[in-house]
Amino acid sequence: MSVWLRLWLALALSLLASLDASAQSVRWTPRALELAGSLPVQEGGRVKPLDTFASFTLLRLNGKRSAEDGDGRKLTPTAWLLDVLFDPEHAARTRSFLVQDAEALEAIGVQLDARRKRDRYSYRELEPGLTKLFDLAHQYDAIEAAQRSSVQSQIVALAENVLLFARLSRHEIIAVVPPPDARSEAWNTPAELRASSRALPTAQAGALDAFETAFAAAGRGAEFEAALERFHYHAVVGARLRGEYDKIPSERAYYRANLLRWSLTAFLLAFVCTALLWLAPRRKWLYATAAALCAVGAALLVAVIVWRCVLRERPPVSTLYETKLFVTATGVLIALAIEAIGRKRLALSAAVVLGAVGLFVAHGYEVLDKRDTMPALVAVLDTNFWLATHVTAITIGYAAGMLAALLASFYLLAKLLRPGRLAREQYAALSRMVYGVLCFGLIFSLVGTLLGGIWANESWGRFWGWDPKENGALLIVISQLVILHARRGGYLREHGVCMAAAFAGTIVAFSWWGVNLLGVGLHSYGFTSGIQTALWSYYGAQWSICGLGALAWLLERRRERAARAPTQFPAARRQAA
Amino acid sequence: MRRAGELALRGLSSLGLSCVLLVLLGLLTWLGTLEQTRSGLYEVQRKYFESFVLSHDFGPVEVPLPGANLVMSVLLVNLLVGGIVRLRRGAATVGVLVAHSGIVLLLASSFVKWRHSSEGHVTLYEGQRATHFQSYQRWELAVLEVGDDGRVLERVAPQERYEHATPDAPAVLRADELPFEVRVTHVLANCSPLPKGPMFDVDVPVVDGVFLRERARDKETERNIAGAYVEVRESGATPRVGVLWGAQSAPWSFEVAGRRYALDLRKERYPLGFTLALADFRKEDHPRMNMARAFESDVEVREGAAKRPVTISMNAPLRTGGLVLYQASWGPSNARASDPLFSTFAVVRNPADSWPLWSCVVISLGLVWHFGRMLARHVRREVGLA
Repeated sequence: MSVWLRLWLALALSLLASLDASAQSVRWTPRALELAGSLPVQEGGRVKPLDTFASFTLLRLNGKRSAEDGDGRKLTPTAWLLDVLFDPEHAARTRSFLVQDAEALEAIGVQLDARRKRDRYSYRELEPGLTKLFDLAHQYDAIEAAQRSSVQSQIVALAENVLLFARLSRHEIIAVVPPPDARSEAWNTPAELRASSRALPTAQAGALDAFETAFAAAGRGAEFEAALERFHYHAVVGARLRGEYDKIPSERAYYRANLLRWSLTAFLLAFVCTALLWLAPRRKWLYATAAALCAVGAALLVAVIVWRCVLRERPPVSTLYETKLFVTATGVLIALAIEAIGRKRLALSAAVVLGAVGLFVAHGYEVLDKRDTMPALVAVLDTNFWLATHVTAITIGYAAGMLAALLASFYLLAKLLRPGRLAREQYAALSRMVYGVLCFGLIFSLVGTLLGGIWANESWGRFWGWDPKENGALLIVISQLVILHARRGGYLREHGVCMAAAFAGTIVAFSWWGVNLLGVGLHSYGFTSGIQTALWSYYGAQWSICGLGALAWLLERRRERAARAPTQFPAARRQAA
Repeated sequence: MRRAGELALRGLSSLGLSCVLLVLLGLLTWLGTLEQTRSGLYEVQRKYFESFVLSHDFGPVEVPLPGANLVMSVLLVNLLVGGIVRLRRGAATVGVLVAHSGIVLLLASSFVKWRHSSEGHVTLYEGQRATHFQSYQRWELAVLEVGDDGRVLERVAPQERYEHATPDAPAVLRADELPFEVRVTHVLANCSPLPKGPMFDVDVPVVDGVFLRERARDKETERNIAGAYVEVRESGATPRVGVLWGAQSAPWSFEVAGRRYALDLRKERYPLGFTLALADFRKEDHPRMNMARAFESDVEVREGAAKRPVTISMNAPLRTGGLVLYQASWGPSNARASDPLFSTFAVVRNPADSWPLWSCVVISLGLVWHFGRMLARHVRREVGLA
C-alpha cells in the first residue's frame, strides 16, 4: 500500500503543479492588468470578461494558460493578450504556439536547433515558413478531418492559430466595443470601427479614440493606464446600458476562486486519509477526517455547478464538459449517501476515487478541448425544461453506472488480490451496494431515455430514430435491465453481478463519449476529437478487471472445491515393533 | 400435451428468455450503431431494427441474426406472459407490474408507429402554400390526366408496385379507365440523365439521345434521385418508351386517344387535409456567429373558409388534424443576407404520438414505487443493525 500511496502523492503533487496558474508579468502594471481583465468582450455568442477570452485563446494556441516572452518572463493570459493588442512586436517574440511534433515544422521549412520534438515557438520563429504553412494548410483543409495524418492536422491547426494571432494583433476578432443601438446585437472590434466609412456614434468614437491612444502609449506606464481607463469606462458603461455587464464580475470571481482546484485538493487529501484508514481501520479520527474532506470536496464541486448555473442561467448540464462535473458530483454524493447509511468505508473510498479522477479528467478535457466551457447553445438545446429534465436525468444515470462499475471493480480486485482481506459480509455489502446503485441508475437512465425520446418527438418529429446517442442511452438501460433480471432469475450472483456491472461501465463510457467519436448522428453538438486514448484506456482497464474477476471466480471455485473435498487421512504408518 | 403447453408457457415467461432477448436487443443496437458509420440511418433502420432476420457482416464471416422486430415481438409476449399475467401478485410486485405495463404500452406505441404512421416534409418559401407533404425517401409513380373540367386526376403507384421491375419481369400498371397500360422496365435507385455519346455503349435504352446513368447509392437515402424507364402501351400501337427521373422539372407527357397524360416519378405524397401557407420565416443567429440561436415560421392554416395563424418554432410544433408539424430546417444554407429563405417542416402522422409520454409516466411511477420501497427497507435494516 505504501508504494501506491507514494505514487498517488506524486501524482497529486504533479497535478497541482500543472494547475498552477501563478504566471507573472512585470511589463504591465497591476492596475492595467485589472482594467484589461475586467473588460467585457463579445465572443462565441456571449459577453464575457477579457480574462476568460485571453485564457481560452492562449490555451488554444499554446496548450496552457501561460506563455514565455522573448526575455524569458512568464506571462499570464491577460498580460499576453495586452502584448498582442498593444505591443505586437513584443508578442511576436513570445512563444505562443505549441507544436506537438517538430515534423510539422520541417514540412514548412522551419528548422531550429536545440528544440524538443514537442515545443513552443514564437511568431518570429515561424515567420520564415508561413507562406509554406498556409499553402499546405489550404491543401490539407480539403481533406476530411478524420482522414488527415497527424502532421497534416497539426499544420491545419497551426495555420489557424497563426491566423488567429495575426488577426488579434490587427485588432480584429476582439469585439470590445458595444453598439450604442439597443436593436443591434453584434459588438464591434476596433478594426471594424477604424474601417467604418460612416461617422461613428459618439460613444463608439470615444471608445476608439481611447483605444488608439492606449495603443500609441503602450510601454509608457501611467499614460497607457489612463488611456486604458478611459477605454474601460466606455466599454463598461456601454455594456451596462445594454444590461450585458451584470455577470462579468461574477464570472471573473468564478475563475479566480478556482474552486475546482480546491475541490480536487480536498479529494486528494481525502484519498490519502482513506488509504491510511485501510491500513489502520480502527482510527475513528482518520475516518472522520476522510469523510469530512470528501464532503468538503463534494460541497465545493456542488458550489461550482451552482455558480455555473447562475452564470449561464441554465440547468447544470448543457455541454460535455459540464457532464464531467455533474457526473463526478452526483457519483460522489450517491457514494456519500451510501456511506452515511452503512458506514463501511467502502463507499467512502469509492467517493474519493471518483471525485479525484473525475475532476482530473474534467481538467484534462478542458485543456484538450481548448474552448470556452460556457459556450452559446444551438437552437434545439435552447430549452431549459428539457435540459433540466432529460439531460439531468440521463447524466445522473451515467453517474450511477460509473459508480456501480467502480464499486464492482473494487469487489473484483479485492477478491483477486486479497481474497481473505475483506470479511464475507463486506463482500456481500459491496455487492449489495452495486445492486442498489444499479437500481437507482436504472430509474434515471430509463426515465431519462424516455424523456429524451419525448423531447425528440417535440423537436424532430419522432420519438425514436435509432440515432447513435439514443442507442447509447438504450444500451445503458438494457445492460442494467439484463443485470437486474439475471440477478432476479438467479443467473448472476454476487460475483456475477459485479463482473457485469464492471463491464456495464464501458457501456456507459461508450454512450457518454464513444458514440461522439463515431462522427455520425443528430447529436452533432457533442462531437469531440482527441479523447480516444482516454476512452480506450478506460475500456481496457474495465475489460481487464472483468478478466481478472473471472480469474478470481475460478480460483475461488477451486478453493471452495478443495475445502469441500473429503479430508484424506495420511497413509497409515506401521508402528515399529 | 398439457404438460408440453405448460413447459412452453414457462419457457416463454421465463426470466432467462428475458435476459437472452435483452442481450440480443443490446447486440443489435450496438451493431446498428456501429453500422451507421458505413451505411445511412434509413438503411440501417430497415436492416437491423425493422427486420425479422438479418445477416451481419463480421468481416470474415456473415452471421445470421434475429432482427429487432422479431426480438421485440417475442419480448412483448415474454413481458405480457411472465411480467404481467404470471407475475406473483402482492405489495412487493405492484411497482414491477406497473413498470412492465408501461413498457408494454411503449412497445405497442412503437408497433403502431411502425405500421400506421407516415412521415415527410413540406418545404415552402414565404408566400407559398401546400396541401400535401412528401416523403424523404420513398418514390411513387403518378399518372396524371387533365379532366374535362380542367382538374388534374392522379393515379398513383406506390414504390412497392414497381421497385423490383426488370426488362424480363416488368411491373405492369393499369387502370380500367385508362386506354393504355404502363410497363416499368428499369428502376434505378440513384441515377442522373446523360446524353449518349458515340464513343461508348450503355446497357439501358437511349431515348431521344439521353440515357439514365446509374450512380452509387448515397449513404443518406434521401439524397438518392431515382429514375425509371417506362413503356406506354395502347392496343394496336407501338409502345412508347419514356425516361423518368426524380429531379425532372416537369413530368413526361404524351397523348393517347386524343387526351393528354403525363407520368411523374416523384417523392411519395400524403394529403395534409388543410392548406398550409408560409407567411414569414425568421432565423436568428448568435451575435457574431454563424450559428442559429432560434428559427421560427409564421404559418397560416386554412381549412375551408377558416384561417388560423400559428407560429412554429424549434421545440414548439403545431399539432392539428392528427398531424404534427415541426420546424425542421431552413435554407439555402449559402444564402446571402438579402436572399429569400425557405422553411422546412417535418410532418408526421402518428396515431400513437402521445403514448410514449404516458408510458414514461407509468414506468416512472412503477420504478420509483418499487425501488423506493426496497431502499426504505434497506435503510431500515441498516439503521437497525447500526
